[in-house]
Amino acid sequence: MMRLLVAALLAAVLSTPVSAQPPSALVIQVPTEPPGLDMTSNPSSAIAAVVFDNVQEGLIKIDRTGKMVPWLAERWYTSDNKNYTFFLRKSVRFSNGREMKAADVKFALDRAVNPETKHPYRVQYDAIQDVIVKDDYTVTVALKKVDATFLYTTARQGSVIYPREAVDTLKSQPIGTGPFTVSEWVRGDRIVLLRNKDYWVKGLPKLDRVVFRFIPDPNSTLAAIKSGDIDVSAFGIGPESVDELKKDSRLQVIVGDSTNDVTLSMNNSKKPYSDKRVRLAITHAINKDEVLKGAMFGYGKVLGSNVDPTNPYFVDVSKRVAYDPAKAKKLLAEAGYPNGFDAVFKVAPQYYYTVRSAEVVASQLAKVGIRATIQQIEWGQWLSQVFCLAPCQTPDYDMSIIGHAEAWDIGNFANPKYYFRWDSPEFQKLYADSQVTVDDKGRRALYVKMQEMLADEAPAVWLYMHPRLVITKKGVTGLWKDQPAPVLDLSEVAWQK
Amino acid sequence: MQRYVFRRVGALAVTLFFVSLLVFVVVRVLPGDPALIILGLEANPDSVARVRQALGLDRPIPVQYAQWVGQALRGDLGRSIQYDLPVGTLILSRLSVTLPLTLLAAGLMVAAALPLGVFAATRHRRWGDYLTMTLSQLGVAVPGFWAGLLLILLFSVRLGWVQAGGFDGWGEGIWRGLRSLLLPAVALGLFQFAVLARTTRSAVLEVLREEYVKTARAKGVAERVVLFRHALRNALIPIVTVAGIQLGQLLAGSIILESVFYLPGLGRLTLAAISARDLPVVQGVVLFVASMIVTVNAAVDILYGILDPRIRYG
Repeated sequence: MMRLLVAALLAAVLSTPVSAQPPSALVIQVPTEPPGLDMTSNPSSAIAAVVFDNVQEGLIKIDRTGKMVPWLAERWYTSDNKNYTFFLRKSVRFSNGREMKAADVKFALDRAVNPETKHPYRVQYDAIQDVIVKDDYTVTVALKKVDATFLYTTARQGSVIYPREAVDTLKSQPIGTGPFTVSEWVRGDRIVLLRNKDYWVKGLPKLDRVVFRFIPDPNSTLAAIKSGDIDVSAFGIGPESVDELKKDSRLQVIVGDSTNDVTLSMNNSKKPYSDKRVRLAITHAINKDEVLKGAMFGYGKVLGSNVDPTNPYFVDVSKRVAYDPAKAKKLLAEAGYPNGFDAVFKVAPQYYYTVRSAEVVASQLAKVGIRATIQQIEWGQWLSQVFCLAPCQTPDYDMSIIGHAEAWDIGNFANPKYYFRWDSPEFQKLYADSQVTVDDKGRRALYVKMQEMLADEAPAVWLYMHPRLVITKKGVTGLWKDQPAPVLDLSEVAWQK
Repeated sequence: MQRYVFRRVGALAVTLFFVSLLVFVVVRVLPGDPALIILGLEANPDSVARVRQALGLDRPIPVQYAQWVGQALRGDLGRSIQYDLPVGTLILSRLSVTLPLTLLAAGLMVAAALPLGVFAATRHRRWGDYLTMTLSQLGVAVPGFWAGLLLILLFSVRLGWVQAGGFDGWGEGIWRGLRSLLLPAVALGLFQFAVLARTTRSAVLEVLREEYVKTARAKGVAERVVLFRHALRNALIPIVTVAGIQLGQLLAGSIILESVFYLPGLGRLTLAAISARDLPVVQGVVLFVASMIVTVNAAVDILYGILDPRIRYG
């Protein structure tokens, strides 16, 4: 009897069918649960993936091609590059029902500028002198000085517009003008977004319901997509699975560009890396195509400098210091290291590509006499030892590898306190000029110069751009191919009829 | 007896004080700054200082400790850095996954290990014994996370009987909840099942050699009664001891399996909190689990005297 009962129980549990998703809902896997949902207090890309452009939007939007397009502001105007007047779209409503007005823009920008607020990007708003409300739909931002990145700053995740009365719930229940609203957040498991019925872009969004499921393990993610539990894997599956998944007729694989530059950093404040010849020797010793093959199964793109292919000013400088082990040996001898030297790679295995890339690079460096060992450290330790922010005085590392996912971050090399510890007044001058050069042609010329200088001076080695790899069920349309900004824009995503 | 209970509760308080001190210190000597981890590669010294201040990490450590203990005594374990929710609320919500998972794994483990162990003992040095021992050897050798992945591949990817992971919550009905916990519970209990089966086998074997078993058989008592009433009952003491220890190990094992099956349980909460240096959560969970274990131990000690009159407390 007991046996029968157990068998019946098991059968009941096992045979209930896995409920089919209605066609207007989508389940997306993301590897990391967002630490709160407030983009104005935390720069985590896990927050942006859920909230940015899905729940909250800015005056300007970065579109799928990386171009800045008018968004909550239907246009803007400046005569002197110091006073920007934004004309807001009318009848745009927050999901709490209230219309967005110029006072909300002022509130959001004033709050970003205010040092009392925990805004993580406060420095980017330093140029703002005042935000003046002209009328309900017109707002002028007066800058202290010309800032070529100002418009880009207003397109960033930290510049989203939210209703001032909802500022206290940004962290758990963010309200905005976006195509979706946050419906439910089961901590540790999922976040559910529902369609914003009053979204101001007619016909969007196309989905009624979006579920973000947090699945950290790549193998579990693979099983979940194969069993049909999830419809999209956004950042969870590594390149090693791509070829196999491409063969699965139920799935489609999107391979695109991203802003994530996988960078081999060297401690420029330390011997022998303070010697340009050594840094160039290391660059010549690395066959980046092989690194891409070995670590990323060929997915991604070889880089020559900090600027990635999604950037409009990108130029390919990867051939300027090409793979040439003989030259590497010669440079090492010139620098006083004819027999090479010992080095340690500190990498954080939390990011799988760092260890794999370090293994390939270490074997290549060995061929020119540089004996590199790999030390794996936990991410928190990596940040303390390698990244080293005040009160940390000197970074404790020789070489490391990490992906820098921030777009437009070439300024890191103009900051001698950044963990590369590269101090080049010439480069700093170029960067400072680029910050105040607003005309596109002039700015582009400066960016080209900076990229060439980075390649020639080799304060770091830019190995490759990490590809954007998205796996979806067949029939999911409208996802971005490339990722020029830290967004996972779902407004146009739909199931093919 | 009353004095003993009083002493035991006093000792419990002292133990918990040391646990709280230990976890507080350990969490703080861990390398890695929570503010830096929150801000990541886009941090600058200014923002790090502000976040540290907001988290109260700029105050002297003894002050932080006193404040934490003071609050904990009033039942407030602080607020999670990551979630901005009370730690107590988080623990309770996660316990609704981990506790059923552990209990289900323990239930499956006992239900499978006891009969199999007894079976092996009765077939000593025959094929049934060898087969059971080979099976349990496999159970000991296969790591739980790998067994979990194999189970997912078979039952979710191939057969499509159950979902590959995730937990829909008890709100959707007890069946749905059990369904999502079944595979992880099997994977979690596998190792402990193998250990328990082996323990049961040797304990029963031992007892089967006793004179009273021979007597029972000589009296013509049915073999089943001999086995389960005379042998197993007397073999239960080592089995229960092992099973008790295993319950704690199951709880620990859930940390990995909750990640494989992406279940929102206590284990995954702890793991995520450690990587994010969400200090209040790490402290809260450790203190909570330690309190549970210490309290249960104390209760068992006290219960001994009530259950077994031969035990006297001085």
